[in-house]
Amino acid sequence: MPNVLKKIGFKMKKNNLLFIDCSEAGHCCDKKQYDEASLSEKIKMLLHMAFCKPCRKYASKNTKLTKLIEKSNLSSCPEEEKKNWKETIEKEISK
Amino acid sequence: MSTNKIDPTKWVDKYSDYLFNYTISKVNDRELANDLISETFLAGLKSMKNFKGEATERTWLISILKRKIIDQYRKNNSNKGRAEVKITYNENSNEGDWLEEQAPDRFDKTAEDVMENEELGVAILNCMDNLTEKQAQIFKMKTIDGFETETICKEFNITPSNLWVIIHRARTSLAKCLEKNWF
Repeated sequence: MPNVLKKIGFKMKKNNLLFIDCSEAGHCCDKKQYDEASLSEKIKMLLHMAFCKPCRKYASKNTKLTKLIEKSNLSSCPEEEKKNWKETIEKEISK
Repeated sequence: MSTNKIDPTKWVDKYSDYLFNYTISKVNDRELANDLISETFLAGLKSMKNFKGEATERTWLISILKRKIIDQYRKNNSNKGRAEVKITYNENSNEGDWLEEQAPDRFDKTAEDVMENEELGVAILNCMDNLTEKQAQIFKMKTIDGFETETICKEFNITPSNLWVIIHRARTSLAKCLEKNWF
């Protein structure tokens, strides 16, 4: 929970409608990287980040990571090829 | 120093994605990459006896792959030479066509782009080594292959919140590792 709120004696209820804690904000941020966060989650996250510097930092790092992965064009090789390779290797070994 | 053992039956599962991305970054052609990797595996099998266990299996395979890639470059270059001779003496060649345009050129990006991206891909894969196997697998499926959350949950028999926790841990560790090694 943001420190500012703690200082003014704000206590958090479970399933709070507006305020969420850092771990939940982190999860919303992760979901956002895959475009899977709902509107209410996004709003809660933004509200949380308005108070919480560490979470802002985490969000910026997280976004950077997403961009890097996109930029690197990583791809896994096709399953068919993998199968072929496995078969060839097994054949060679059994020779 | 502990010696590394060699186990060809696990090569494909363990290293093919790494080798694939490495090759793609060098030759920029999927089919060629596939050919080079299968050649690498075969060459690896043949020279298994020479594996001393001083390096890890992956390093050893990469060193074979590097040789294969260099051979491929040589082949391309010798083709370039031939094209030059042909075009010089070809009377039907279209005017204004430059030699460079007709010679095979594997890179359609600027040199800087290529350099940065090839290093980046390998750096990310290296950082993924720090994750646990399950984390790496799930992260790969989710981020690189772009599977739906549901599909992954079914495959690994976990709940969505489990999945997000795993993804969160993987992302945090990757971000930390890349920060150290990349920025």
